[in-house]
Amino acid sequence: MPVTGTRPAGDTPVREARRGVLLQLVRPVARTVPWWAVAAGGGLGLLAAAVPRLSGGEATPWAGVNALRAAALCFALGAAFLLDDPARQTTAAVPVRRALRHALRCALVLPLAAAWWTAAVLLVPQEARPPAGDVTLEAATALALALAGAAFAVRRRGADRPGQAVSASLLVAAVLAPLLSPSDWALFTEPDDPHWAGAHGRWTLLLCGALLAVAVSCVEPVRRFQPVRRSRTRPARAGKGVWGAAPGTGREDAAGAETPRP
Amino acid sequence: MTTATTTAPAPAPVTTPPGASWAAVSALARFETRMLLTRVPVVVAFTVYVAWTVWRTRVSFDGFPALQDADRATQDGPLLVGLAVLLSANHAVLRSRRHDTERHLDVLVLPRWGRTVAHLLSVAAAALVTAVCVGGQFAWEALKPGAVGHGSPAELLVGPLSVLLLGGFGVLLARLVTAPFAAPLLIVLLLFLATFLGFSASGWTRWLMPSVGTYSVVTLPSDLIGRPAAWHALYLGGLALALMSAAVLLSGGARLRTAQAAVAGAVALTLIGAVGQSRGVPETVTEARVRASVTPEKLHTCVERDATTYCAFPEWQPRTGDWARAVGDVRALAGGDAQDRPLVVRQRVEARYGLDADATLTPLTRPGEVTVGTAWGGNRVSEFAVAVAGVLVAGSEAAAGELCDGRMVTVMWLALADRPDPVADLRRVRLGDSDTGSSIVVSQTEPLQMTSAQTELLRELLELPREKAAAKVKAGWAELTAPKVTTDRVAQVLGLEKPEGENECL
Amino acid sequence: MSPTVSASGLSLHYGATRALDEVSLRLSPGVTGLLGPNGAGKTTLLRVLATAVPADRGTFTVLGHDPSTARGRQEVRRRLGYLPQTPGFHPDFTAFEFVDYVAILKELTDRGARHREARRVLDEVGLGEVRGKRIRKLSGGMRQRVALAAALVGDPAFLVLDEPTVGLDPEQRMRFRELIATAGEGRTVLLSTHQTEDVAMLCHRVVVLAGGAVRFDGTPAELTARASGRVWSSEGRDPGALAGWRTGLGTFRNVGDPPPGADLLEPTLEDGYLLTLDGAAAEVTA
Repeated sequence: MPVTGTRPAGDTPVREARRGVLLQLVRPVARTVPWWAVAAGGGLGLLAAAVPRLSGGEATPWAGVNALRAAALCFALGAAFLLDDPARQTTAAVPVRRALRHALRCALVLPLAAAWWTAAVLLVPQEARPPAGDVTLEAATALALALAGAAFAVRRRGADRPGQAVSASLLVAAVLAPLLSPSDWALFTEPDDPHWAGAHGRWTLLLCGALLAVAVSCVEPVRRFQPVRRSRTRPARAGKGVWGAAPGTGREDAAGAETPRP
Repeated sequence: MTTATTTAPAPAPVTTPPGASWAAVSALARFETRMLLTRVPVVVAFTVYVAWTVWRTRVSFDGFPALQDADRATQDGPLLVGLAVLLSANHAVLRSRRHDTERHLDVLVLPRWGRTVAHLLSVAAAALVTAVCVGGQFAWEALKPGAVGHGSPAELLVGPLSVLLLGGFGVLLARLVTAPFAAPLLIVLLLFLATFLGFSASGWTRWLMPSVGTYSVVTLPSDLIGRPAAWHALYLGGLALALMSAAVLLSGGARLRTAQAAVAGAVALTLIGAVGQSRGVPETVTEARVRASVTPEKLHTCVERDATTYCAFPEWQPRTGDWARAVGDVRALAGGDAQDRPLVVRQRVEARYGLDADATLTPLTRPGEVTVGTAWGGNRVSEFAVAVAGVLVAGSEAAAGELCDGRMVTVMWLALADRPDPVADLRRVRLGDSDTGSSIVVSQTEPLQMTSAQTELLRELLELPREKAAAKVKAGWAELTAPKVTTDRVAQVLGLEKPEGENECL
Repeated sequence: MSPTVSASGLSLHYGATRALDEVSLRLSPGVTGLLGPNGAGKTTLLRVLATAVPADRGTFTVLGHDPSTARGRQEVRRRLGYLPQTPGFHPDFTAFEFVDYVAILKELTDRGARHREARRVLDEVGLGEVRGKRIRKLSGGMRQRVALAAALVGDPAFLVLDEPTVGLDPEQRMRFRELIATAGEGRTVLLSTHQTEDVAMLCHRVVVLAGGAVRFDGTPAELTARASGRVWSSEGRDPGALAGWRTGLGTFRNVGDPPPGADLLEPTLEDGYLLTLDGAAAEVTA
């Protein structure tokens, strides 16, 4: 068999090869990232963050924190499209792991996200700016939830382009969460609210949950998740081993078999 | 048949009757409606909206709604549905592009604008479902036994029109920007700008938003509301139509006369509505508000029941029975001539600030006159009972407001003793919801004051069996209601222990 | 010949739908055809064998590696080429860039060798001329060939092709058959198709799948032989036939159990296939 290209064999070269693969993947993967979605989310987010400064007059902490929340949500909605990959089916069975491919996409966007968020925070006037660490926590949670949703859709349904559905779900959740969250589990507090610190404890929990979900969803399962069927055992069906059957014996089998689905 | 036929008879040419494409549009619209109404965001939004509305309407307005308030309460929920419809209609229009079927669909008989019209009709169907929900919510309020007043159809239209407007915007957006991330991002920006500007804007710009709230909780007679509700509905409807016909224009319907005319007409309607709603409260309403606030007696109709005259604005006549029951309860406990002394219950409202601010009413100075407000149910009943008891004991509302002696115990006991849970009601009428120590007692006019000692004595009296306490109060009525009677003396007359708490009015 | 792929008892459910029902298979080098009506579970079986989706139950090995562990699956994927039923692309990539990208994903890290390999497979599928063209500018048939090139890159020992000839014109299809036949020399190729001619011309083995279960597994000649003595010609449609249609000659060709003294015809692979399926699925009306 003619072997062209070099495929490493053995353990040590594999590890080396993985680094080589990663470096060589950077350029093509960077071209497949849906930059328009990320840019649109970032651009609109900056616009939202700039509203308190642009609106003139005294900016309140209330306006500051909500502008940053709107900005973070915009960016997260754009980032929900990050794992959209029209070639997912074509590249479904390649040896480079899905987790690595997802991680590469995230790694390409994260430095930009950090720079963008710094700009957004700085856009809010000093007197209206909420504690930077705490709002960053909220923004990171929104981003992690978006990525977790996208990664989960890929894992569960093998979706090519989960972005649209995930961004819609994230948006619905973001609109409903302040309306429906119980008062003893408040998340959307204001900086001078005594519950601010408690709320950010909950944000930390949410962030950890979302990051865990990202990590779990990025791994391609080798077994299907089967909540019920796993425990049920079915007796082996006699006479089902048709393969290799002679033409004569296969006939009864075909006639007695269940009707194929239309 | 034994011989092979080589030529099949040509099928009869399919002739399209002139109305056929509309039939296709309506068939497609039914399909799109089913798709839209079963999209996850729309289902979630409708579920939350309906559940929230049912939850709220069970106890809204304490069971005694004024329909001129209940109509406005239908406006906020549909915004949630509207956002979901915006998102889903946008996705639905982009669906064919996303699945790359646009090329196939573009060569079909049904033109592109026909598909847009079908999407718009599906949005209209969602608005209709919302209208049914709004109608159901309002009907529920109107059927409550304690309902009074009149709702405004224009206010009721705001909810469904908001859904139509937002959904139409979603379709237009899909025809303007084909990126699937445009709609969610724009929704965030819209929401943010709406909250940001909604809180800071004043005057006519407020009315550019779909749902416009009020700054006060006062219930006004329906002719004093003074909201440009009809103009606003016209503005919303015009804007929705303008966006929708623009979407048709943008999807290849540019040469359609009807679409061009629709855009022009809708823009005109929007402008007329916008100008109409920005003109503020009409002069006649302002004058009527002053009349209703300063000289309500000129507008009242009066009914007499059991030595009490009830004078109220005509819309509140059906509530006379509820008031009479509260007055009867208090009178039944009173002694002396208080059981059949003539009283006048006068309904009053401070309407001069419209729905922009709340203001308290000044106490009535004429003897035997009691104020009743426009709201009823819940705490309002106990507050009214306190006012009636105050007038029975002190003679007039103004005098009751200045009470600072042992008579306070009698007033509060008269007001509360016949309530199902007097101590709970005591907490409700007191500022800070306490049932010990000194506190302010909330009333429709000037607040009253209770000292620690009076509270203590009242609690003791309430713990006695009601008949026994009533007998003691009736027996000592003259002394209990004598001006300047001390709290200690009241305790003595009632045969109760002297209270130990401090007894100084603030 | 020892099997390169062997599967036993593969089952997979989607909710209440049974997509695969205890499928057992052995594949050896050469082209194996997978026939079956729509919804028979062909694509699901191919996705399972290509490790794109795990099965609920059952085991299989590819070239001695067990894909039920992450490590085994990776080993399998290093030796696998997969052409999905509806391949997707990055439309802004050129054909060369896309194949090169897939080659990186197949761990071909030596840049020079990889570029040579990408050019080789593109030449092999006849796209050497247009390799610099963006995929969005290519025709449907060309895109299908780009996907085949992506499956072939890295010279996989096991090739899984899901309806590769759909949407191709007759000339392109001939070209494809040539390609697949070449690919089948020394490799194990599993080819799912609706075209019985593809199977008749290409495959040394054929598997018929219906209702998620294997209904036949043997050589094309054996499948054809199933219809021997069960195809006959008549003047009108024989009511006793499972299927019957008017041919270009004006007579009816019937498949099923012939009446005594019927004018028997030479069977084709398609007749054998139709008889293997149930009467309901095989009901064909002219």
